[in-house]
Amino acid sequence: MNKTAPVEVYEPFKAGLPPLKRYWRMLWKRRSFITEYARSELHEKHFDTVFGQVWLIINPLLLSGVYFLLIVIIAGNSDKMRYAHLTACLFLYYFVNHSMSGGAKSVIKGGKLILNTAFPRIMLPMSAWVIALIRFLPTMIVFFFIRSILGLPWGWNMLWGIPVAMITGTFALGLSILISCANVYFRDIGSFLPYFARTWLYLSPILYEVKNLKPKLRSFELLNPLYSMMDAWSRAIVHNQVPHLESLLKGAAWALGTLLVGTYFFLTRERDFAVRV
Amino acid sequence: MTLQSESDFSPKTGELAVSVQHLGLTYTTTIDRRPTLKARVRSLGRGAKFTRVVRALDDVNLDVPYGSVLGIVGANGAGKSTMMRAISGILPPSQGRIEVYGKVSTLLALGVGFNPSLSGRENVLLGGLAGGMTRKEIAAHFEEIADFAELGDAIEAPMRTYSSGMFARLGFSVAVTVRPDILLIDEALSTGDAHFKEKSLNKIKELRGDNRALIMVSHGLGTIREVCNEVAWLHKGQLIQRGEPNAIVDAYEKFLHVGKSAAINEDI
Ligand SMILES: Nc1ncnc2c1ncn2[C@@H]1O[C@H](COP(=O)(O)OP(=O)(O)OP(=O)(O)O)[C@@H](O)[C@H]1O
Ligand SMILES: [Mg+2]
Repeated sequence: MNKTAPVEVYEPFKAGLPPLKRYWRMLWKRRSFITEYARSELHEKHFDTVFGQVWLIINPLLLSGVYFLLIVIIAGNSDKMRYAHLTACLFLYYFVNHSMSGGAKSVIKGGKLILNTAFPRIMLPMSAWVIALIRFLPTMIVFFFIRSILGLPWGWNMLWGIPVAMITGTFALGLSILISCANVYFRDIGSFLPYFARTWLYLSPILYEVKNLKPKLRSFELLNPLYSMMDAWSRAIVHNQVPHLESLLKGAAWALGTLLVGTYFFLTRERDFAVRV
Repeated sequence: MTLQSESDFSPKTGELAVSVQHLGLTYTTTIDRRPTLKARVRSLGRGAKFTRVVRALDDVNLDVPYGSVLGIVGANGAGKSTMMRAISGILPPSQGRIEVYGKVSTLLALGVGFNPSLSGRENVLLGGLAGGMTRKEIAAHFEEIADFAELGDAIEAPMRTYSSGMFARLGFSVAVTVRPDILLIDEALSTGDAHFKEKSLNKIKELRGDNRALIMVSHGLGTIREVCNEVAWLHKGQLIQRGEPNAIVDAYEKFLHVGKSAAINEDI
């Protein structure tokens, strides 16, 4: 009857990647959905009101204050460098944490959209990541404000913070994608996550600096991706030093690895989501 | 809700629009609880299965040419919505194959309004972006959508404040305004009032004249008789009969009233 080739053919889902070029085209075409969806989520949480935005600033300030108090009480004394380190690293950590927790819910939350629209599902964890990024940016303003009050010296080496932030951002995106996919199969990941995140916070050089660690303990930190990222971050934007090349490379390897693995799992499983959510 | 940009594809009457071949589709659901890590670890030792497979479609064959309106009837849970989802590419088939010759737009029951705390306008925007339209395209169509839906100021109100009829109005307006080659309508007409029903019937007839293909799921058998060229009857995931609307709808009605028919030897 027809001589033209079909525009679309749908066949049984086989394990394996979808045609990547086509997937990318679909994703690129819908890129404004990602930010628009993030915006609507922020609107739902009232982050687009005056008080919502003030809260975005006050909340991290309060957090860093509480942790600083904790350090002063436990360690007995503390200096301003320590406080700057704590704030900078805590804020970066919350970026990772928020993209993890947001990503975990993203696919399940978008269930209705998934059941009624054909679109690259990876846009959902991506938009959770965008939300985390939007929440992260104002905290940087807070940090630089704190930093100038503390009177720490400024310098060009601080620019190393940009590649470090990009590495950490890539890592956070990878985590968001990986966890969103895992959460479809194991719905209780969302409830484990806060405990996991808290532990991770304590195990990473955030409340303390790398140089405070015993050398023996440092070798364990090879297993912690945040270790090298936090160290490089602190060196760059707190101490105005060039981060170790090793930290940058390790961080980049973790980030790319997580993103690749996460995307691979997501893309191979995503056609299965609609019949599972 | 999938909105799709207008295509340059110009179909002709009689050419194939959708071809569904030996379509089977299964949902995987959990037996009683959500799939959790805990449950999976627990079931490790016993090797117990904690998922259940629901066979929603079984070996369904359908061809829909351009210029025709196919109605789909069937009891609740027959697999009608499932088939629409498969045709629009949302659910991958478990068996068989679906070929689609053109751009599909769907009007599934809850497509628009997936986020009830957002206004109708924002939902249309998000739905459109997800479906691959650009902001410009959506903006260009928005007035027409709002006009057709006749929602007035309610278009700016959160969709949780909508009645189900208002919901359906907006969904239907979006679907018909973006002018897809192949339009899938799932139950949108059943909740509209008489005025909107007539308006949307006219719209469907107009679209039919335009050489599009329409697939329409409805429990309103009067509507089906009036606008469809052909009707398919699904029951428990299987295609029971397809053919001339009056004949099929009569058979279906008889089945509904009697509870059994010659075609099926099982309880409803
Ligand atoms: N997301 C889902 N997960 C598991 N099973 C599902 C899901 N959606 C539908 N089903 C099952 O698939 C079968 C067909 O459902 P479907 O929604 O296609 O019915 P329908 O013909 O549209 O019914 P209705 O007339 O009520 O709209 C039903 O048995 C239903 O329980
Ligand atoms: Mg249905």
